[in-house]
Amino acid sequence: MTEAVSDFNLGETIVFWVCGGLAVLGALGMIISRKAVHSALFIALTMINLAILYVANAAPFLGMVQVIVYTGAVMMLFLFVLMVVGVDSSDSLVETIKGQRFAGLLLGIGLGLLLTVGIGSALTTSGDIGLTAANDAAGGNVQGLAQLMFDDYVVAFQATAALLITAAVGAMVLAHRERWTPRKSQPELSEERFRDGGHPGNRPSPGVYARHNAVDTPALLPDGSTSLDSVPGPLRARDDVRDVDPADVDEIRELTKGVDS
Amino acid sequence: MEFISPELDYAALAPMIVVGVAAIISVLVEAFAPRSVRRFLQLVLVFTTLIGALVLVVLNSGMRVLTGGQSIALDGPAWIMQGTILILAILGGLLMAEGGVDPSGDAFAPRASALPGSEDERQFTIRGYLQTEVWPFLLFAVLGMMLFVASNDLLMMFIALEVMSLPLYLLAGMARRRRLLSQEAALKYFLLGAFSSAFFLFGAALIYGYSGSIAFGPISFAITTKAGENTLLLIGIAMLLVGLFFKIGAVPFHQWTPDVYQGAPTPVTGMMAATVKVAAFGALMRLLYVAFGGVRWDWEILLWIVAILSMLVGSIIAISQSDIKRMLAYSSIAQAGFILVGVVAASPQGLASVLFYLIAYGFTTIGAFAVISLVRNASGEATSIRDWAGLGKKSPLIAAIFSVFMLSLAGIPLTGGFIGKWGVFAAGVAAGDAWLVIVAVIASVIAAFFYVRVIVLMYFADPTPDTAAVVIPSGFTTVSLAAGATLTIALGIVPQPILDIIANAGVFIR
Repeated sequence: MTEAVSDFNLGETIVFWVCGGLAVLGALGMIISRKAVHSALFIALTMINLAILYVANAAPFLGMVQVIVYTGAVMMLFLFVLMVVGVDSSDSLVETIKGQRFAGLLLGIGLGLLLTVGIGSALTTSGDIGLTAANDAAGGNVQGLAQLMFDDYVVAFQATAALLITAAVGAMVLAHRERWTPRKSQPELSEERFRDGGHPGNRPSPGVYARHNAVDTPALLPDGSTSLDSVPGPLRARDDVRDVDPADVDEIRELTKGVDS
Repeated sequence: MEFISPELDYAALAPMIVVGVAAIISVLVEAFAPRSVRRFLQLVLVFTTLIGALVLVVLNSGMRVLTGGQSIALDGPAWIMQGTILILAILGGLLMAEGGVDPSGDAFAPRASALPGSEDERQFTIRGYLQTEVWPFLLFAVLGMMLFVASNDLLMMFIALEVMSLPLYLLAGMARRRRLLSQEAALKYFLLGAFSSAFFLFGAALIYGYSGSIAFGPISFAITTKAGENTLLLIGIAMLLVGLFFKIGAVPFHQWTPDVYQGAPTPVTGMMAATVKVAAFGALMRLLYVAFGGVRWDWEILLWIVAILSMLVGSIIAISQSDIKRMLAYSSIAQAGFILVGVVAASPQGLASVLFYLIAYGFTTIGAFAVISLVRNASGEATSIRDWAGLGKKSPLIAAIFSVFMLSLAGIPLTGGFIGKWGVFAAGVAAGDAWLVIVAVIASVIAAFFYVRVIVLMYFADPTPDTAAVVIPSGFTTVSLAAGATLTIALGIVPQPILDIIANAGVFIR
């Protein structure tokens, strides 16, 4: 142990190993898990742990920004998008080039080892300035950042505006669907809906049966058959409609036998 | 603590400010101008801006300043590269403005958001919609490139790299024909580009760990004062180089090149191939010479390997290509290797030769892609080399112009490419890299084979029913093509004025 390492106190060491370990686990989970939602949650775990490490390393501003912007805003938006778009786990994982995955794994591990050993050995020999000294130079962490951002790096800071504008315009170009027909008016829409004998009024609500209360359970019609109309379209398209057990139907019929309908 | 507002040299930054502000105005035009006048307004805005910025660069070219803290260096080489980028962007912009070659509009999808092959897309095509957002993208990309060649700081360089790349990723995915190929190219370019950016960032972090700074001056100072303990430095340099090698398309970071060159709209391919090479080599040289000049012996070997691999892999794989755009993509990989020979030299002579090479290569490349955009059959551009058989008999002028470009790329005398190659190889020999130059000469001979093969095919094969026809373009492409061809020949016959300008520019300031 050199002098640089011994400056750490016990609490800091514990925080490092716990959060560092969790961050690595989250990163591994992100690439290993097959469901996009799980990956997103894993990366949120990694980010939160990194934020704690930043705070522990006397960079409270960076830690907070990491939580608010990345974990809070970006990852949660990402999750919303995943849930709304409904990406399922059936992404193709077939290797198109034979042996590609193995070669990639091998090279990745090789690079990882090289970097770990290289950086590890370098860190044991290099001295450090100390976090307090670095922060105090500009009168505090946030002040120091502000100094850099609005003085030395003001051009770089302005240039990021170009990046954001490009990203926003690019997203619009790739995703915004323009109409080439005039928008339909309310009467036209309603007329279109009923002309082909569409369902007037509300659709029946999903079945309840006093035990299931899920939207994927179809409602029962008076004759005991189920009404698929009561299940939302996307579920029907995905074949996610719950089967109705005939035994349940009989049971309910028994229970309601005496009741006048 | 009191804040002292930064002193910026606005005169020196003026060309970049003009391009940046114009890009934002261009976005506002998209937002507020009626569709019928957008294209006209954008064309006026873009070309006024680029020409105006070029004039400012020429007026500024005597300045040698560090500004924005230490993060921007505007010196002789920076002005030359900014000027070159602007001229090439004007020529590339002219290609992008061409509306008379494709019967259904310009080279871009009428609406990039419409599903390929959908009714929406058909309707937008029939109605003559144009995706005029390409113009703000062009301006932003040019802004990024101008900043990239002037970056004197790793953070500045990273932001410039992204400002330059992001619009290009988008432009690559907007081809009117073969939409799926184009979208695949854009996605590949974006994902691999993001990976390479991550490497660059990682490298920057390690360099900060080594030297305590990300500005080139202090890094270079740290290298002279901290002898011995440079593991972090070497890993950092390697990581930074991965990011930059990706942008110049050097082996083994070249995998995106053929797909992107093939999938992107041809005018964008031409613009990108020419300007990004200039920008990325400019940044690479500034990084290596200014920041890491002190450990030249350590990175030299890396550049040797990458240069040799690029020259050989690019030249050999290009021979087996059947698509002309893919062939030019592999050719650009080989050319990156040739230019690296000049970079390895790490001398004022090497710097000057690389600058000249980049200028000559840029004009030739834009011209070559201009020709490709004109050679068409019923389904769009005839990019299959087989369809070019006998073109010399059907359209002698275009075939002749294309031959000039191929000869220049092959480095045959009386073209700009020859002077460029000569300069780079001479600088290599002068720096003691004779073996590298020998490999480069062998690779040039291999490369000449596939360039000349196209010429032979155009002139010595008989036209078949499949032979493509040459479309007569409007003034936009004609000007660009004429400029490319004239400059390619002029640089080969009277290179002295340009060589003088480069010689007067001197070297990078610190």
